[in-house]
Amino acid sequence: MAALTLCLLGSPLLHAQDPIHLEATNSADRIRLAVANFKPQTGDANTGAYKQTFDTTLFSDLTSAGLFDVVSKDMLPQSTPGFPAEINLTQWSAAPSSAAMVAFGNLSTQGNHLVVSGFLDDTKNTQFPQVFAKQYNEEASEDNARQIAHRFADEIIFRLGGGVSGIAETKIYYVKILGPNKEIYEMDYDGANQHAITHLGTVSLSPRVSPDNSRIAFSTLGRDGFQLKMFSLLLNRPVNFNSAGGTNLSPAWSPSGQQLAFSSSRTGDPEIWISDPEGNIAHKITAFRGPDVSPTWNPKTGAQIAWISGRSGLPQLYIMDADGSGITRLTDGGYATSPSWSPNGQFITFAWDRKYGPGAPGGQDIYIMEIASKKWIQLTHDGGRCDFPSWSPDGRHIVYANSPDGKADHTRIMSMLADGTQKKALTGSGADMPNWSWK
Amino acid sequence: MSAYASSPDEQNDHFGSGVGGSVLLHAVVFAGIIGWAIFNHLHNPSLGETSSQVGSIQASMVSAIPLPTKAPPVKDQVLTPDDVSKAAAPPPKEAALPPPKETDVLIKAKTPPATKTAPVPTPAPPKHAQPTPDTPKANSGEQATQLPQSVSQTTNGTATLTVQNRALGLRYAYYIRIVSSRITQNYNQEFPDPRASQDKSVTVLFDIDRSGTPTNLRIEAASGSPTLDSAGKRAIQEVDNFGPNPAAESIPIAFKFDYHHP
Repeated sequence: MAALTLCLLGSPLLHAQDPIHLEATNSADRIRLAVANFKPQTGDANTGAYKQTFDTTLFSDLTSAGLFDVVSKDMLPQSTPGFPAEINLTQWSAAPSSAAMVAFGNLSTQGNHLVVSGFLDDTKNTQFPQVFAKQYNEEASEDNARQIAHRFADEIIFRLGGGVSGIAETKIYYVKILGPNKEIYEMDYDGANQHAITHLGTVSLSPRVSPDNSRIAFSTLGRDGFQLKMFSLLLNRPVNFNSAGGTNLSPAWSPSGQQLAFSSSRTGDPEIWISDPEGNIAHKITAFRGPDVSPTWNPKTGAQIAWISGRSGLPQLYIMDADGSGITRLTDGGYATSPSWSPNGQFITFAWDRKYGPGAPGGQDIYIMEIASKKWIQLTHDGGRCDFPSWSPDGRHIVYANSPDGKADHTRIMSMLADGTQKKALTGSGADMPNWSWK
Repeated sequence: MSAYASSPDEQNDHFGSGVGGSVLLHAVVFAGIIGWAIFNHLHNPSLGETSSQVGSIQASMVSAIPLPTKAPPVKDQVLTPDDVSKAAAPPPKEAALPPPKETDVLIKAKTPPATKTAPVPTPAPPKHAQPTPDTPKANSGEQATQLPQSVSQTTNGTATLTVQNRALGLRYAYYIRIVSSRITQNYNQEFPDPRASQDKSVTVLFDIDRSGTPTNLRIEAASGSPTLDSAGKRAIQEVDNFGPNPAAESIPIAFKFDYHHP
């Protein structure tokens, strides 16, 4: 929705010199959603702990979705309805909660299982209030309580989000800085459950997960310099990727998962190459003096690649067809790095220092550019050095690396809505190069 | 005669008699073999047959076809015996009334007396004009035929959504609100030409199929301003999917864009 909002506002408002004004008309259209605390059906201590986790996760998922105007918990009615028969809808639709929708339900531990029933009611429709009801039954654990909350939140977002699925079950892969070494880590989209994927004891960079979430491609510093490596998340071990000479960096999966674009200097100059996921049938698609790095595919069509090229001096953002034809330059100056294409194919987000060079100290910030019009919006301001933006699969969020004081080892991972609001840190310092999974 | 023979005896080498004897001996042996073979052939059985069966077909004549004999029907073992019980006797005939005689007189039955009902007082017609109920009117002055499901105010006029199947609209009101807000968001109000579109309205019809995709988009009533018509159509074409359709059938929608530049 944020993407649509941008597109709607983009055309009339984003003239080159005009200041950007975002009208608040759309926030008024957001559905006002009340999230009730779930009612524990069994009284033991475990249920209370699971309920606490569940309530917190559900509330934060729905708040960060960027779709709803979530009612603050202080404004909710005192009652805790557990079943549709127990809810008094006028209580919820009246001020101060003034909710249009209420999510509520109950939670119990039955033996070794955690059973959650969730309901979504439309308070304005007194005749047919129920939008949907769902029951979840999982083994009782703190992690599963969070998973169930994620699933219930995704279901609400799917029903009310106008056709875009939620992202509460997606993952973010990133680089963890461990002293001199860098390893690939994984975490949930909200920063929870951070854990290591690789244990190579060297420097691994730019993890990119495949569209089916089965493999991660990344580049690793080894005996032969930087080489691409492939790690299978299903087998939980590295799998083969045929390497060649030179420095091989920044892999990028095509949306079909059948091709991998990357930057390789095997012929002397860093160029964009495309190979299959085993590293075979590699062919070069750029041939111009100057470095060509950081490719990213158009995830909607799989027919275009955006990348950073230094053919005209400072690195600039370019797009081309996947066969190397139809090259178009998008940025007109400054120092652009690390593009990521939006899931609907309409925008590219990238890091850009618009006033790079001596005498013009500019900050590196995250920008969005609409490809058709080359109009851009700056999303981060004065927050320190920002780099490596990556779109979420719903196109409403962007995750990026931010260093508040510019020091490399103070870099942390932040996420925000694609209009630059709701910025929040997902990790502490020492995390870099995030990549949002495709689903 | 040999050139090397020394005596007349030696000169006669008996060639003629020797040849003759040899031919005779061969002829005898040959004739013996042929004769033995012919004899054998004529008097011994051929290979694989015995003399008794040669050339004969064994057949025994019978006087009649040996079919199984007909078993006589067993009377005691039949489930439904042939001798059925007797049918019940028909009801006795009622004695018919004798036909009326020619001398009989017809007497009319008595009719019950009519009950009197008091006249119902009807209310007198009102002396003053009654107020007519408010009919929803668009900015263009046109009267709506059905109360709209959702009306949203835009910068330039209003956007009105009507669900033609009223029951669906009420049942899934939340979904209709989502649809309405998606379309209003996508409606590019800067696109219609302000002068040509002023105080005009366009109604577009479409169906939301079961997956939530808008289909069958068409203009019901063109506004007369091509830019307003295409802005209205584009607002729906921009949407890939409205989200899962909660109704198990497709929902027909009429969406009306009124243009009124303040």
